[in-house]
Amino acid sequence: MAPAQRRPELCGPTPLCPPVPVLLESPATDLACAHCGDACPAEPLRLAELPFCCAGCRTVYELLSASQLCTYYALGEQPGLKIKAVELPGRFDYLASEAVQAQLLSFRSAERGRLTLHVPQMHCTSCIWLLEHLPRLHAGVVEARVQFLRKEITITYLLADISLPEVVQLLASVGYEPQITLAELGAQPHRASHTLYYQLGLAAFAFGNVMLLALPEYFSFVEELQAGFGRFFGYLSLALALPVLLYSARGFFRSAGQGLRQRHINLDFPISLGLASLFSVSTFEVLTGRGPGYFDSFTGLVFFMLIGKWVQQRTYDALRFDRDYTAYFPVAVTRLTPAGEQSISVQELAVGHRIRVRHQEVIPADAVLLRGAGQIDYSFVSGESTPVARAAGDLVYAGGRQLGGALELEVVRGVSQGYLTQLWNNPAFTKDAAGPTLETYANHAGRYFVALTLLLAAGTLAYWGPRDQATMWRAFTSVLVIACPCALSLATPFALGAALRVLGRHKLYLKNAAVVETLARTDTLVFDKTGTLTDPTQSAVQYHGRPLLLVEKQLIATAAAQSTHPLSQRLARELATEALPLATCQEYPGRGLHATAASGQALRLGSAVFVGTPAGPPAQPADRLSLRASERLPLLSARVPVPGNLLLLSAQTATSPALQSATTTGRPASAGGPVLAPETSVYVALDGEPAGHFTFCNVYRPALPAVLAALGKRYRLAVLSGDTDAERLRLRALLGPAAELRFGQSPADKLAYVAAERALGHTVVMVGDGLNDAGALRAADAGIALTDTLTNFSPACDAILEAGELGRLATFLGFSRACLRAVLATFALSLCYNAVGLTLAVQGHFTPIASAILMPLSSLSVMVMATLLVRWAARHYHL
Amino acid sequence: MTIIFLLIGLSLLVALTFLAAFLWAVRSGQYDDAYTPSVRMLFDDEAPTAPAAPVRRR
Repeated sequence: MAPAQRRPELCGPTPLCPPVPVLLESPATDLACAHCGDACPAEPLRLAELPFCCAGCRTVYELLSASQLCTYYALGEQPGLKIKAVELPGRFDYLASEAVQAQLLSFRSAERGRLTLHVPQMHCTSCIWLLEHLPRLHAGVVEARVQFLRKEITITYLLADISLPEVVQLLASVGYEPQITLAELGAQPHRASHTLYYQLGLAAFAFGNVMLLALPEYFSFVEELQAGFGRFFGYLSLALALPVLLYSARGFFRSAGQGLRQRHINLDFPISLGLASLFSVSTFEVLTGRGPGYFDSFTGLVFFMLIGKWVQQRTYDALRFDRDYTAYFPVAVTRLTPAGEQSISVQELAVGHRIRVRHQEVIPADAVLLRGAGQIDYSFVSGESTPVARAAGDLVYAGGRQLGGALELEVVRGVSQGYLTQLWNNPAFTKDAAGPTLETYANHAGRYFVALTLLLAAGTLAYWGPRDQATMWRAFTSVLVIACPCALSLATPFALGAALRVLGRHKLYLKNAAVVETLARTDTLVFDKTGTLTDPTQSAVQYHGRPLLLVEKQLIATAAAQSTHPLSQRLARELATEALPLATCQEYPGRGLHATAASGQALRLGSAVFVGTPAGPPAQPADRLSLRASERLPLLSARVPVPGNLLLLSAQTATSPALQSATTTGRPASAGGPVLAPETSVYVALDGEPAGHFTFCNVYRPALPAVLAALGKRYRLAVLSGDTDAERLRLRALLGPAAELRFGQSPADKLAYVAAERALGHTVVMVGDGLNDAGALRAADAGIALTDTLTNFSPACDAILEAGELGRLATFLGFSRACLRAVLATFALSLCYNAVGLTLAVQGHFTPIASAILMPLSSLSVMVMATLLVRWAARHYHL
Repeated sequence: MTIIFLLIGLSLLVALTFLAAFLWAVRSGQYDDAYTPSVRMLFDDEAPTAPAAPVRRR
């Protein structure tokens, strides 16, 4: 069965959010890049008449067309992936190390090696095709096999022709850079469990054959046959049913036993009771020669219930819901030794080692900054939106991502002893690991079911006892048999399994079906701010100043592209034009850059002071304010000495009160146009003349106002932010007066808040994205982690939501409520069957033939009804 | 009618063969990935072509 929920749609990069309107005068053309499908700039790069948006895309296209691999573009709609701008030579050198290879390679002989890599970027048919055609790109690759659902590729290569770093480089060069992290190194490639398949196969085999043997029993014209072979058929059925009891049904008995040990009756208890009595009654009948028994019903029940289990178990292998910090940390780090640079595995890193951390690399351990301008992005671990500046001598915590130039650090604490990893190992973060037994409706119903059944069975004994001994025993065992809530146990997996697939189609991936139930019962929603409510991939760039000529824009873009500073990179991407030859280009860390075009035009780009911009043009208040803020805090790689508290590090945020006053003066929150968060600016001077400045703002996700308004009507809302309270008014307007807003929250604070809400009896759903939310995600009844394709990482959680779909959260929650109603309706149906069965049973009329009709009828109709009701609900919610 | 014993024995044998085949299929990993092969079988080994013309962005 092809799991529909993971079917890659016709691809073509769906931007996570509609592009933010940008006030630049070079509108993007409507030409789509032949590789990635993004809009091309006004002057696209061209190759053989095809337009490309950037040099990276053109390079990939050249590579593929040279190897006759252009079918790639024919299979899907614009499957190409944009190549990240910054690539450092020697990035994969650490893979050459023997220790790393020993951990990564699953097989190795004298001439060939094999390994499995995780490639999260693969998303469509074209991806599979290209990745499996790797041997055409390099003769050293012998075979490449894709496991699409897990997003894994298994590569066999010849050690003599290609090295491991080259293999990974090859993947990266076509846009599929594998994700190799600390977690990947530690774990073995996971092996799917086959037990359920074996159990299912055995049950199906026994069911089919026992039914065949039982058939003569149901037709009177073969009585003669039955008379002669009845005993033989009975013994054969017993022989076939025995392995089903011992092997296939083992899971139900084990689960019931576990529940009993925890003094808790779950749904598997009445099931086990029913199965056990069914089997023993049948065995007794066969051995004493009274009749054929109920073996067909018994094997059928086990078979149907295993199908229910299978439906429930099929979840998302590809997505890992249990990641911890090790998945985020790098595998290797550049160590500086007297002999020179050396790439070592992070596990080998020890206190006192000197390491080098380059642009975009994650700091692996708490360390002291020795050299370089630290510009560290902690948004993922602390929730702060702006990078933190650190100067030589400062302590730098692990987990931050360096932006800008390379740093030299001295490790002061081992990887597992770091401030953040310590926090991670805090028992509070793992307390839910064992988890209380989930109080699902099915288990709840199961308990009443048991009580009712035992009561009825006792009543039957009492009624028939004085009247008819033989009927008494038959009625008693029949009640126990019919008590098996098979249909009841099928309702939940089928309804919620169908819901799981519907939600998966819309990019909300749940860990298991029980999460649907939790979502449906929730009454409190808690959000993180940075990266959850704001969009980390978007920042609006606005230009204020005199109009720029095309040549000038080209100059700015080319010069900005030379710098690794995040703002320069963002600017270069925004302007994306044909490169202009530069005569000189020099960067002054912490201040800006100075470049001269071949034509002689001089450019200064950077902080106001560096560029020499006087007091800003008094055009708009917003301009003036951001200008003043920028003067106070030099923009590029500012060296601001900061106290050692992670949460007090915000250095460059310049709030624009103009925006907040705009909100308070009645502009509705849902008004068109991007919702802007605090901003930063970059100034431009051409030939010594100040020309203007670019402002960069964080952007709230576009769908946010609408979804928050919808959610606010039904749920209690809260925002927990690791950031400063600069956004308080803005968020208040978005969330309404009743919402709880907390700022400057540490990961432990968030955890405590969620735990306190739960203690008050609320069902809490936490929506977050970073490591800083991980504790709260775990503590909540259901934790939803938001992922952008950018980060590709999600902390441990119960559900993963693709960030662009946040706007449909209200729909998803409504749908899960509808699914729960569908489960309850199906419960009602299955209880009807049980009532009919019990009526027959207490009267002593429950014969094998009645069982053989009632049992499959109830099971099948419950399966069909559960699935149909959920489909109907999905249509109702337009999912 | 004793032939029935033989027939039932044979039919069970056939059924057991199918069961064994199923167990072998599970064991050899054919149920591990039910999606990729369905895509893989549709790939042609045709002569690769370049996209014909610049695509207009929708």
